[in-house]
Amino acid sequence: MKLNKLFKVFAVVIVLVMMLAACKPAATEAPAATEAPVATEAPVATEAAKVYTYADMTVGFIQTGSEGGWRAANTASFKETAETLGLTLKFYDAQNKLENQVSAFRNFIADPEVNVIVLAALETTGWDDVLKEAQAAGKVVVIEDRRIDASSDLYATYIGADFALEGQNAGIEMCKLLEGSESKNVVELVGNVGSSAAKDRGTGFRETMGQCGITVTQSQTANWSATEGKDVMAAFLKADPNIQGVFAQNDEMGLGAALAIKEAGLVPGVDIKIITVDGTAGAFKGMIAGDLNTVLECNPLLAPQVYEAALKALNGEKLPAWIPSQEGIFYQADAEAIFPSRTY
Amino acid sequence: MTQNKVSLSLRKISDSKLVFPIIALALVLIFDLIFVRGFFNIEIRDGNIYGNLIDILRSGSTVILLALGMTLVIATGGVDLSVGAVMAISASVAALMMNPYVMAKELPENLQKLVSDPNFTYAPLWAVLLVTLFISALCGLWNGLLVAYAKIQPMVATLILMIAGRGIAQLITNGIRIQIFYEPYAFIGNGWAVLPFPLYIVVVVFVLLWIFTRKTSIGLFIESVGVNARSSFFSGIDEKKIKLLAYTICGLFAGMAGILASANIKTSDANNIGAALELDAILAVVIGGTLMVGGRFSLFASVIGALVMQATTTSMYAIGVPANAVLTIKGVVVILVLLLYSEQVRNFFRRITSPKKDVAT
Repeated sequence: MKLNKLFKVFAVVIVLVMMLAACKPAATEAPAATEAPVATEAPVATEAAKVYTYADMTVGFIQTGSEGGWRAANTASFKETAETLGLTLKFYDAQNKLENQVSAFRNFIADPEVNVIVLAALETTGWDDVLKEAQAAGKVVVIEDRRIDASSDLYATYIGADFALEGQNAGIEMCKLLEGSESKNVVELVGNVGSSAAKDRGTGFRETMGQCGITVTQSQTANWSATEGKDVMAAFLKADPNIQGVFAQNDEMGLGAALAIKEAGLVPGVDIKIITVDGTAGAFKGMIAGDLNTVLECNPLLAPQVYEAALKALNGEKLPAWIPSQEGIFYQADAEAIFPSRTY
Repeated sequence: MTQNKVSLSLRKISDSKLVFPIIALALVLIFDLIFVRGFFNIEIRDGNIYGNLIDILRSGSTVILLALGMTLVIATGGVDLSVGAVMAISASVAALMMNPYVMAKELPENLQKLVSDPNFTYAPLWAVLLVTLFISALCGLWNGLLVAYAKIQPMVATLILMIAGRGIAQLITNGIRIQIFYEPYAFIGNGWAVLPFPLYIVVVVFVLLWIFTRKTSIGLFIESVGVNARSSFFSGIDEKKIKLLAYTICGLFAGMAGILASANIKTSDANNIGAALELDAILAVVIGGTLMVGGRFSLFASVIGALVMQATTTSMYAIGVPANAVLTIKGVVVILVLLLYSEQVRNFFRRITSPKKDVAT
């Protein structure tokens, strides 16, 4: 018992010290950062009244590690946006190791300059402790891309894709493409069975496809891969050639399906409409070639939204637990014009 | 084809080698005949033959190539787990040689620089193919050195390249999927000349390998190494060199499979190309009746084995098996086929059905 009490006192002391530590740099920063007009108010103003700008923000960003084009674009987005907004970014690459992420998190908590911590978590669980420490230290934590299992009180917000919405949009877009078509039979190429992206995109699509009488006649996994996308589509075409549309849950499978459609002597994008999700360079090439009709973006360029949310949180604004990332819908007609501005 | 020669020589080896794989293939196809309407429909589209059966042959061509190389390795008593990774390496090398501009900068923003002209290639086609095949043969040689000279167990030795190979492939392309636009290359995997072009490659390669192993004593050496490495050493066969040869050929064939696969989908997809195909190839060889402990092998039986695997996959797509049941059903088919000619099971049935003599052969 005694030990326990001692421990509690100790904890309180630590928290107090941490709070002091957190306050200190902010207090010294205040007059320095606001040299001109605000300066008159600054000396009397309390912490809550201080209005943060991007220039006052130092972000510690813990990335998962490298894994491919999407992740590279995600990292680049954070670096470039930090430069344009004029905020300081401390970037940490965790090399896909959880222990690296946790120790980097603690380093950023201890770092007096850092006031915002952005995390792309490798694991969904096990973050409660460090999040509590960060909260005690007064740091704003924003989770990006990958959702975590922790009480949403412990972090400012989560910013990431809404897979179900992507599916719903795909359904709506497919309706537009098949307008006027007599039968509306769509086949679906599913990603890895059980992944949340595959599940939610599938359910989302089924929620909206009914609006115009689309039926999913065949659905099969192609494991996100172009090879399997092609094979599965070839089999679909033989099992029941009465197909008007393809909903591919990622670009690769859609591009594979387009090849199979060509081999069947049909014209992809015309005889059979194709909608894919992701928005990679390959998909844009496919749209320019006329093979793909519509591409729904799964956006890796989350930095502008993350920084904006972090700034709001720094200024004491309460954010929703989840801010879906802004995702575009790209059409064949615009593909050529948009393509040069695409970065991934 | 060389059907006559093949069946003649195979009869010499053993009748059962071919009988059971063909029964297995027939069972799968009969299943399709009953349950999938129009599975055997074949029509002419744009002057090309088009149908499910052709699909099985075409999609099966990569696994057939892998299975051919794998047969030699397994016959020496080894196994090569790295063929899927070698496929990814060869696809990446080929794509990079045709379009190195993708790598102009570190980040994929330069994907825009992709040259999408179907007549453009940085290196000429023959150079692309030669270098790619050379590098994949090197991968095989590496496996062979580890197994034959460093005496590492084949499963462990090839596991190294299985893990590292896909990483190497990603390093080669910097994690980018390089799209392939060069039409002559794409034709290798994607083209049709009445029949899909890969089929011609498979036939030519098969005949060459068959001549190489059966018209010379190489095949016999391989089998003797698999049966008993020590005694073949004493009879003057250099066991190490034979193993080295088998693994190198296996790597070379994996490289060919990688070229076919990447040309087929017109991308170098280092993450997905050949993923888990090493297992399909091993199963194909096993279905073909070659024992995992090594010894006698039949190239043609392995080809049939590969077709059994592919026919199963294609039929499942055609029937419309739910996505989350596909792998399980594939497993069930394989176990049924293997049970079909497991000696124990045959003996077991012989014992149960002892009054009926017709089961025993």
